[in-house]
Amino acid sequence: MKTKFNIEKFESQGISLKNLEIFIGEVIEEEDWEPMGPYPFPSATDLRDWDFKILKRYKPFYAPYDDTCSLCTLGKCDLTGNKKGACGIDLKATQGRIVLLACVVGTSAHVAHARHLYHDIVKRYGKDLPIDLGSEIEVEAPLTRLITGIRPKTVGDFEPVLEYIEEQLVQMADALHTGQEGSYLDFESKALHVGMLDSLGKEVADILQIVAFNFPKGDSDVHLVEMGIGTMSPERPTILVIGHNVPPALDIADYLIENGLEDKVDIAGICCTSLDITRYYPNAKIVAALSHQIKAIRSGLADVIVVDEQCIRADILEQARRVRAPLIATMDKALHGLKDRTNDDVDKIVEDLVSGKVDGVAILDSEKIGEVAVKVALKVHESRKDVKSLPSDEELKELVNKCIHCNRCTLACPQNLKISEANRIAKTGDLSKLRELYESCISCLRCEQVCPVNIPINDVIMKAAMPLIRNEKGKVRAGRGPIKDTEIRNVGAPIVLGTIPGIIAAIGCDNNPRGAKDVWLLVKEFLDRRFIVTVSGCAAINLGLYKDEDGETLYEKYPGEFDAGGLVNVGSCVANAHIHGAAIKVASIFARRKLRGNYDEIADYILNRVGACGVAWGAYSQKAASIATGFNRLGVPAVVGPHGVKYRRAYLGRRDREEDWTLYNARDGSEVRVEPAPEHLLVAAETIEEAIPLVAKLCMRPNDTPQGRQIKLTHYLDLSMKYLKKYPEDWYLFVRNEADLPLARKEELLKRLEDDYGWKIDWKTKRILEGPIRKVDPSFDPTNLERLIRK
Amino acid sequence: METPYDIGNIPGPKMARVVTPEEFVKQFKKAKKPLLIVGSEISQEELRKRVEKLIDLGITTVATGGSIRYFVEDGYDEKVEVAVLHELTNMLLDENWKGFDGEGNYDFVIFLGITYYLASQMLSALKNFAPHIKTASIERYYHPNADISFKNQFKDEKFFQMVDEIIDKIGEE
Ligand code: SF4
Ligand code: SF4
Ligand code: SF4
Repeated sequence: MKTKFNIEKFESQGISLKNLEIFIGEVIEEEDWEPMGPYPFPSATDLRDWDFKILKRYKPFYAPYDDTCSLCTLGKCDLTGNKKGACGIDLKATQGRIVLLACVVGTSAHVAHARHLYHDIVKRYGKDLPIDLGSEIEVEAPLTRLITGIRPKTVGDFEPVLEYIEEQLVQMADALHTGQEGSYLDFESKALHVGMLDSLGKEVADILQIVAFNFPKGDSDVHLVEMGIGTMSPERPTILVIGHNVPPALDIADYLIENGLEDKVDIAGICCTSLDITRYYPNAKIVAALSHQIKAIRSGLADVIVVDEQCIRADILEQARRVRAPLIATMDKALHGLKDRTNDDVDKIVEDLVSGKVDGVAILDSEKIGEVAVKVALKVHESRKDVKSLPSDEELKELVNKCIHCNRCTLACPQNLKISEANRIAKTGDLSKLRELYESCISCLRCEQVCPVNIPINDVIMKAAMPLIRNEKGKVRAGRGPIKDTEIRNVGAPIVLGTIPGIIAAIGCDNNPRGAKDVWLLVKEFLDRRFIVTVSGCAAINLGLYKDEDGETLYEKYPGEFDAGGLVNVGSCVANAHIHGAAIKVASIFARRKLRGNYDEIADYILNRVGACGVAWGAYSQKAASIATGFNRLGVPAVVGPHGVKYRRAYLGRRDREEDWTLYNARDGSEVRVEPAPEHLLVAAETIEEAIPLVAKLCMRPNDTPQGRQIKLTHYLDLSMKYLKKYPEDWYLFVRNEADLPLARKEELLKRLEDDYGWKIDWKTKRILEGPIRKVDPSFDPTNLERLIRK
Repeated sequence: METPYDIGNIPGPKMARVVTPEEFVKQFKKAKKPLLIVGSEISQEELRKRVEKLIDLGITTVATGGSIRYFVEDGYDEKVEVAVLHELTNMLLDENWKGFDGEGNYDFVIFLGITYYLASQMLSALKNFAPHIKTASIERYYHPNADISFKNQFKDEKFFQMVDEIIDKIGEE
């Protein structure tokens, strides 16, 4: 409990004090790095005004995935048509409630991960381990500074940050209980709050692992890593690590290094653990993103499987058993029914796993995991050589011939793949259609469970695609972590003026509608147009799979700098926080806005000035929901793929509603009607061809200079022509005067403005006389916040 | 009861009534202001040619960004509107939306050739929050979230026959 006394004026016996603040009960080390803003450690209500401002323009759009609710025993309630349940909640608020639930779950995953790392690192190195990200990074933890007002100097300084997040998370989880929140808008405000906590938790997690494990600290030319199932060697023992929390994998690497076994045993990884282990141990291989989990296991090439947390298949033990690979679970969150052998003798555990006495064990002490995993891999490798995972050519023929074309597999398939048709063609000996399914198949195994003649459909597809799988060999640039302050100094002005047309953040999972190549196409398109492209997680991994006409991956072709045309792999999901961090640093380092406890001002700055747009094309998890919502509260829009509509909620603006598009000019408080930029905060596209111009559009900001707008509008029009073969019907809304028009098309566009939209043009001077929503005003200082108006 | 094309996609007590092409046309004719929305699956030429016939019959048609290029190539782009389906559905939810012609919202919205799960969610939004609109799926998929829907049809031939029947019946007028 702390109590604050304010003494405005005190005079006594020659002593005179003014504006004295005395804190009793807790010593606050008052640092003077920046004056404290209005919202340090904000509660859910502190930033509610900001949330309501954005929710007014970007109204929640709900697409229920279920019209009923069964969360309490008053139900099951039918809410169809926005009816209310027995507790009084309607369908709309129920959707907000589910969104909040997803965000709470997603954030809990990141924050529990951060907390686990914190305990692990404090145990290994103590609380005084300094937070030092090198001489080019002074703003070491932009989200921590912004949200809590703390400038962390040592690992221990993150303790109050984690405590704050955990307390807020419990409060927000509480709001989910029946009989608490009833307004969909308040559910959304809480979801936005939780999204912000998610971003903060991710920052803590990644900074902790960077400083403790000496991961790269923002180096743009960080090493390249081998990737792809094709790089898994049948000749060497392989330990497959799956998940998101790296200490167990680090321990395996340490054991290999300490025992000189780097050339004898491979570490291969799936998902974020693979990205994080390669930040530490460049010899490790990235096998693939999440959708390849089953593919990697069923290849039979993993001798031992080590799982940590998040995105692990719930039936991992059954799958591991199928290929006789011993399983080691390493986190209390995901034990898979295995016996806890943490306190047993290493050799005894090894013996039990090698002999097959047990299929798997749980070991919760990361220092024992390395030794067990490596010893087991070395011992079982030879005996596993006879493991038969995929069907032979002859068996493949028999299997496809068994198909009775009942289509039950297609009804079960989340990708709606036409398996029966592919089998029909395969019966003639042509495997091309089956092979085509490989890219889109996410190996979920739903089909296999319903096939009446027990065809192992995943394996049939894999077998048919073997020529592709063997060639799945690529390169990924290891995760570099934060963006350097020096880089921000170089790009801050061009980003805010619009001459660097945008920062694209291709992030998240790979529940892609038709394979990962789509994301590659989008990233390449924006790199070629000299946007800055940042990537992380499964999206970053999958980019390494594809090569261009010169046989190079994008990581080999484009520099790793945070600059125009740079491809920046920040790292795993938690490293996403550095993308938020970069946007915040633009406000703080370039524009000198105060960060400390000043969330709404910085978010307002980013929304109006920093042309950043997230793309979570294959988002599937609850973490992806909290990540996107965290970006949204900070003023960064995001585009998701068609599966993304299953999250139930979008934040969609309406360009046809003039009243939604006004801002204040902070100089004088006048209200200014502006163009719809950015038009949405969260929107789904059907195909990547639809998404690409949409992303370009969402990079426009009210603050763009004419030169910047001209560049952005050029990309929007070019990309629309390239992918839609047509100009978009809203392009004219973004034209403020003739200087905004792409030079090469100026005359043509002026003519269209006159003919199609009735604008008045002075053809002698080629100037626009009448038509635009507003004129360019160089003194316009756009804001949504009344408190920033300087009368 | 027909199985949803994505078998687990059972939304609740209100699921689409399965209709034949003939019944669909009856409903269509009752509508004051119908709207046809088509998606990326019209990249299949046989389907697109049929959509173009529907356009020629004067049905207001919107193409998603995933499908417009094909209409441009066929010289139909001036006859169709373009929209991101998410944005369009959001407009349709607003009873006071002015529509593409500036004269008001639509009362009967037809889905065709759209990625199944995306269409399903948009139909759910309309079912639950747009009482002013009736929805119909003339997809090869049974869409439980529509008001009326064709049943699942795995064979192209049969499905095209059904679409042809619609074209003929609407054309009879
Ligand atoms: S929480 Fe409310 S809507 Fe849900 S089952 Fe209980 S009473 Fe019904
Ligand atoms: S394993 Fe592949 S083919 Fe089978 S249901 Fe899943 S995505 Fe579809
Ligand atoms: S479920 Fe099995 S038998 Fe039926 S179509 Fe699919 S693969 Fe063939």
